[in-house]
Amino acid sequence: VSRLRFDELRGEQVVYAIDRQERTFLPSREHCPLDPTRPGGPPTEIPLPAFQIAVFDNRFPAFESPGGAAEVVVYTDRHDGSFATLSAERAEALMWVWRHRYLELGARPDVDYVMIFENRGVEVGVTLHHPHGQIYGYPFLPSVPARELAADERLGGCAPCELLRRELADAQRVILDSDSVVAYVPHAARWAYEVHVVLREHRASLLDCDPLELRELSVALQALVRGFDALFARPFPYVMVVHQSPTGGLDAARSRGHLHVEFYPPLRTADKLKYLAGSEQGAGTFISDTLPEESAAALREAIARAA
Amino acid sequence: MARKPAVPPSPGAAEPGRAKTGEPTGRDDRAAPGERFGPLAIERMSKDDGRALIVYSHEEPGQA
Repeated sequence: VSRLRFDELRGEQVVYAIDRQERTFLPSREHCPLDPTRPGGPPTEIPLPAFQIAVFDNRFPAFESPGGAAEVVVYTDRHDGSFATLSAERAEALMWVWRHRYLELGARPDVDYVMIFENRGVEVGVTLHHPHGQIYGYPFLPSVPARELAADERLGGCAPCELLRRELADAQRVILDSDSVVAYVPHAARWAYEVHVVLREHRASLLDCDPLELRELSVALQALVRGFDALFARPFPYVMVVHQSPTGGLDAARSRGHLHVEFYPPLRTADKLKYLAGSEQGAGTFISDTLPEESAAALREAIARAA
Repeated sequence: MARKPAVPPSPGAAEPGRAKTGEPTGRDDRAAPGERFGPLAIERMSKDDGRALIVYSHEEPGQA
């Protein structure tokens, strides 16, 4: 069972999930727990010989009922590949799975914030290579979404709506756009190839999207990650996080937020990682070697190459 | 913790068969046959150790 302690100095929660220390770490391909359970083969987390998308309670949860939730989302029963290599139909179906999990987890009294995310690559601590993501149902509002709500106050309305307006007006950092979705390297990107994928219309969560918006979101996400892989001609590590409205607390907070997906890739060149060192950890100030406008130009070219 | 209202339904998409409240199902529950959510067919199971497993299926020309 996880325990929470509040860091008074930083004003944020710290979670102690000490049972996770023993979790499965980079198993051999033959013992992947996210593969289907094949006849005569070792049992896995999914006791079926085939499946499309599976979601289950994490065996080594950071949160569990009645103190939140931790789920694993397996994108496919095929061990090899990535979100980028899924069929368009599967990627679109995944948007509906995310929506369904947001609906069910967000309705729980012990979940105040639903965070859907994917860690890709050993560079960001991945312990299983099988294509998958995770969902945490936090029993509190974490500090990053809380700061996003504070940005709404500072900007006098929905912050992502205002920032999207500015990015579209400037246009230098926009790398993808469709009728429903825009992707850009943000004006104040912290990571060299940080990208935000934002719904054009104000949508608090996946629940507010119409089917076309969900489809265009999946198309944009796949185009982006394929572009990432093309950028340095190698599998591109990233942390991908879906930002949505909080689901707990005051009704006013539940209706706020703007659905968008943020990518935090740790590479600053083809073979160099950005580390969070003195300034980032001690002062909370990122120091970047790359201008967002230059990164956006490189990503536009890579996305075109990968299309 | 006080019970909170269910997340309001989406105005944009029909979700036939969706639970009215979105409350979690018990681990021993199995969904009614034919549970759907948008284009997804949903099958709920319980693993040997009691953890929940949900399998989502959809129409697809070929396996991803």
